[in-house]
Amino acid sequence: MATSSRSRADDIRARTDAQLVDLVLARPDLARPSPADLTSLAARAGTRASVQRAVEALDRGHLQVLEALVVAGDGASVTDLATLLGGADEAVVASHLGDLWTAALVWRAGDGEHVVRTVPEVFGSSISGLGAPLAELRPDLASRVPTAEELRATLAEAPDDSRAMLEKMTWGPALGVLPTGSAGRTTARWLIEHHLLLPVSVDRVALPREVGLVLREGRLHRTPELEPPALDSRGASLVDAAAGGSASELLTQVDELAAMWGADPPRVLRAGGVAVRDLRLTQQRLDVTAERTAFVVEVAYAAGLVADDGEIVPVWAPTAEIDDWPSVDAGERWATLALAWAGSTRAPHLVGRRSTGTGPANVLGPDVQWPAIRGVRRDVLRELATLDPGQAPDASSLRDRLAWRRPSRSAAVLGEAVEAVLREAEWLGVTGRGALSEAGRALVDTAFPATPSPIRGDRGGTVGGGITSNRGGPVARRGDGGSTVGGAITSNGQTRGEALHAVAAAMSAHLPAPVDHVLVQADLTAVAPGPLIGSLGAFMRLAADVESRGGATVYRFTPESVRRALDAGWTSAEVIETVRRSSRTPVPQPLEYLVSDVARRHGQTRIGGAAAYIRSDDEAVLDTMLASRDLAALQLRRLAPTVLVSSADPRVLIDLLREHGFAPVHEGRDGTVVHAEAPKRRAGTRRRGPAPVVSPVDLETTRGLVESLRAAEATAADRRAEHDQRSGPSIPATDPVVTLALLRDAVAEHHGVWIGLSDQVGITTRHLIHPERVEGGRVWAKDDAGHERTFSVHRITGATLEG
Amino acid sequence: MNDGPLIVQSDKTLLLEVDHPKAEAARRAIAPFAELERAPEHVHTYRITPLGLWNARAAGHDAEQVVDALMTHSRYAVPHALLVDVADTMDRYGRLTLEKEGLADSAEGTRLVLRTTDRPVLEEVLRHKKIRPLVGERLDDLAVVVHPSERGTLKQELLKVGWPAEDLAGYVDGEAHPIDLQQDGWHLRPYQQHAVDGFWHGGSGVVVLPCGAGKTLVGAGAMAAAKATTLILVTNTVSARQWKDELLKRTTLTEDEIGEYSGARKEIRPVTIATYQVLTTRRKGVYTHLDLLDARDWGLVVYDEVHLLPAPIFRMTADLQARRRLGLTATLVREDGREADVFSLIGPKRFDAPWKDIEAQGYIAPADCVEVRVSLPEGQRLAYAVSEPEERYRLASCSDAKLPVIEKLALRHTGEPTLVIGQYLDQLHEVAERLGADVITGETTVRERQRLYDAFRTGEITTLVVSKVANFSIDLPEASVAIQISGTFGSRQEEAQRLGRVLRPKGDGRTAHFYTIVSRDTVDADFAAHRQRFLAEQGYAYRIVDADDL
Repeated sequence: MATSSRSRADDIRARTDAQLVDLVLARPDLARPSPADLTSLAARAGTRASVQRAVEALDRGHLQVLEALVVAGDGASVTDLATLLGGADEAVVASHLGDLWTAALVWRAGDGEHVVRTVPEVFGSSISGLGAPLAELRPDLASRVPTAEELRATLAEAPDDSRAMLEKMTWGPALGVLPTGSAGRTTARWLIEHHLLLPVSVDRVALPREVGLVLREGRLHRTPELEPPALDSRGASLVDAAAGGSASELLTQVDELAAMWGADPPRVLRAGGVAVRDLRLTQQRLDVTAERTAFVVEVAYAAGLVADDGEIVPVWAPTAEIDDWPSVDAGERWATLALAWAGSTRAPHLVGRRSTGTGPANVLGPDVQWPAIRGVRRDVLRELATLDPGQAPDASSLRDRLAWRRPSRSAAVLGEAVEAVLREAEWLGVTGRGALSEAGRALVDTAFPATPSPIRGDRGGTVGGGITSNRGGPVARRGDGGSTVGGAITSNGQTRGEALHAVAAAMSAHLPAPVDHVLVQADLTAVAPGPLIGSLGAFMRLAADVESRGGATVYRFTPESVRRALDAGWTSAEVIETVRRSSRTPVPQPLEYLVSDVARRHGQTRIGGAAAYIRSDDEAVLDTMLASRDLAALQLRRLAPTVLVSSADPRVLIDLLREHGFAPVHEGRDGTVVHAEAPKRRAGTRRRGPAPVVSPVDLETTRGLVESLRAAEATAADRRAEHDQRSGPSIPATDPVVTLALLRDAVAEHHGVWIGLSDQVGITTRHLIHPERVEGGRVWAKDDAGHERTFSVHRITGATLEG
Repeated sequence: MNDGPLIVQSDKTLLLEVDHPKAEAARRAIAPFAELERAPEHVHTYRITPLGLWNARAAGHDAEQVVDALMTHSRYAVPHALLVDVADTMDRYGRLTLEKEGLADSAEGTRLVLRTTDRPVLEEVLRHKKIRPLVGERLDDLAVVVHPSERGTLKQELLKVGWPAEDLAGYVDGEAHPIDLQQDGWHLRPYQQHAVDGFWHGGSGVVVLPCGAGKTLVGAGAMAAAKATTLILVTNTVSARQWKDELLKRTTLTEDEIGEYSGARKEIRPVTIATYQVLTTRRKGVYTHLDLLDARDWGLVVYDEVHLLPAPIFRMTADLQARRRLGLTATLVREDGREADVFSLIGPKRFDAPWKDIEAQGYIAPADCVEVRVSLPEGQRLAYAVSEPEERYRLASCSDAKLPVIEKLALRHTGEPTLVIGQYLDQLHEVAERLGADVITGETTVRERQRLYDAFRTGEITTLVVSKVANFSIDLPEASVAIQISGTFGSRQEEAQRLGRVLRPKGDGRTAHFYTIVSRDTVDADFAAHRQRFLAEQGYAYRIVDADDL
């Protein structure tokens, strides 16, 4: 066992198949792309990027155990760790340690648990607010590191104000600025003299780790939280009915959105998204808050019901799917929306938020894209699913629980996202009165099934770094256009269709039954006492204005709305007949009067477009024109005895008429005759570039060329000879990840390494180096002659340990 | 899913299906906190407003009862957000209370204190720049002294900032005066009795009853309950006379006990009837008759037609907060949108009933509402099209195309007492000439008016042409046909008042007729549509006919 890397690799190699499966499940990024062998799996598991993701995915309990192990040092006993964790239950610590081993953040050797070397790097110098060790801060003092007892003794002698100064730094940060006053200086000086504080720059001091631990009385965390905080909940009644109500309302809103955008689609902004003004119009139409409007729009988009039409002047328009939409069963429509929401990487609550340097985020715009929201949704819904049916979580305890689960997230951002998810779940009907509805539970089972996760307390994948897990993903991954990927397999092995049906079935029973009638009243309103069946709903939306929404819908017939129906091609008789057929109550006379009154005036004046007119007091001339077969191409139309119109350009009209023996003159806007003047066109002056220079292939250039070719050939031959003379082993090409791991190990173990290095022209040379540090894609090393050199890692073709 | 008659909408309206078997129970449950907004034939619309919820709190209902009423009767699940909002809104009422506190060293022995149970609320309202000057010395963290004269203004401002104060300071009894109802051969109708009780238990407030439903009797009932000196404020002199006649007839009061305080007479007696006009008369910027309010120790102040209460009276009322106040009206709709001031200064709505319900009980006459549309002749259409916007309504509504229709209608109802109501004097005189009828306008003397009314009442004359002076409080029993030829633009309350002219129950149970004549395709028709909405919302279905089809 020459290096720790070997041992870690050996640890991984020694694992059973089941343990390896657990490892990959716990750290899915290791599987993409598939590693070639266990060595490269082990190497990849040790890379900084992968370790970082694994650490960020840890909940606070596991993180604290891992921190404790880093602080306690390799091979620390469980008892030591438990003490460091404030006297935690050893069984819990041991179990957490086992989980960390499963995730290969810790490896086991004969002398106990070791932390993977990259973990401290990821943590950085300050762990839980604790400073760097004394030996690291002052290498000269490394041999005289005081014991805890000695430190305690020194501390006992400390003057009160010095002690107070230390106490301020106890729980971090471990770096402080020296006071400027003379009294403060004296206080600090005492501490510095006794090595309780170490100066790190002119005006800064650091609290060494050893001192910090003594001050913390041997505890690493102020509040060790190995177990998740309790989730408080309260009972909620009528959960499914409330959820059904919200679901039905959402379906209505989506219908209205589609109707509105179908008729008058908003423009796609150049930066993507919908303009604020258009969103406000939509909001007025839907008559809900701005947040809710954004949510409805985003859900419709996620479900592929609206999209950018991709034309030259692009607009947001309903997709072809909207045409079949009304005929789909309401439960399935809801399931489509709910599944799309669960899998969407877009966060509607960010709409209107100002991100740095840009204007407020637009709905459907790029700023609303936030992949982490899917992880938050999954976490929230799963937490809700752990509660008994009919139990609604207490919002603040849910926030605490999620903050515990995702300690690396900013509490404010997470809290806001959790709030948004809860709000949206309520609008969607995934929850009703705060508790997960039956349909919501079905959605969680389908979209976020609990995977058999090896890590207790974290049934999810990773959410860190803005990259979402590859598991537990949405039922159907949707492209930017939102089109459905047919036949995709969901996480729990169902096909998309099955998943949809399962969710739909759970909701269908709670959706208000659709009604096929309205109640029409004398004040020209019509009340639909429930969601209307598709075609009637569309008719009512067309022929009347929506006045009030909710379980029922109140429509009001106005002259404008009736005109809208007439514009859409309905006749007054059809409108009245449809109302009569769908009304449970007799149609009031004023409504009939209103419809016929609007119909009477509808189309009284007509407007059309024409490019040119011909007028003449001599009607016979116009008759001749109309009759002339040669002028048929002009598509002349008679508006009045003395006026013809044509869609041809006036100039064309004049030319053609002249050709056929008429004598028209051009009339200006004010009715006067315009005397045609032949227009004279001029192009802009062309800018001239410099004249081309010709260099002919003459004897001289040919000679030069041949010379340089010869020189190149000679160099190549020299290189070959030199290469053959060089010593050292043959170096196989290795994966850069493996190379890096090997170099890091060499740094730690002070080993020499043979590396293959390719130069600018692609020639590989061998070098024996002693690496000193590996950072930022470069290796600092001493070569054989003892000169310090740096190498770019991407130039290193392979590496092998010396000897 | 519940099969209730109520549907709760997300915009806080409640739809009540009238034909549902449980509709009555639901109506009773929601009536305390929801305002009836529209009452057409099949589905009534109620609205939950902060004012309504505070009304309910004032009447002793709590949020739990409201939520329970909604959940019990609702067909679909009630939006959670709405329930939370209801609870929050109701919770705001009563955080601040106005109390009277005994004080030994004060001259009056008491002082008025604004008290809270929740310090941040008091801090918040005290920081408002309009509220700050209304309060005095800070007593402690939770209380502040209020000058008695600012009691009304303070309540008004607190309501505006959304923290309505519960007025627990009570009322002065006023100077006692024996008043009783003389119920010989007649009795207060059940709804009138409810209205009186509702008012008396609440202390102050507004009673909403349709025209013709006997609001005057509710006033008399309230006086009998108070048994104290009373100030009655009415819209005009004729109305004042009618109040006096009614009180003499229905109560134990005698001629000497009732005074009239108007432009003509200035009598102050135990029961004094004053007009808004005289109270708001100013000379050199001073309200000269303001003393009337303090002339006696009034135990009750009655505001007739509270929807017309002029702004200065609001200001004066702010000073009368210690006295019981009763507002009477046919509709709380104020065209100036000052409903909130009525709430804070006069009091919450204490009684309301849909017109159709009272009609169904036979206390007001059923009415047939018809809109007759006339087409303007070609020349007038052109004149209309090119006229100034402000002239258009006058042009359209005064079209002589209406004259033949009026004649035709008058002819059809020959012998029945008919009122022709209009806005423009020229038009009224022209109509009167053609019908051979008398005209009552603002210029007509009170004596002449009384004479004409009496003649109309006795059936001596059957047709009267009246201007808008007759809109309010004239009591013309047996007027069974009203023809409206022009009005104050789209005023809904005017429409309500005019319909009220014919709603008094007829001796023979005849149906009343209410005609509106409008010019087609003009603003006249638009305004008419706006006005009629009110009728439709009260449950009066109207028909539209073309003049040619009459």
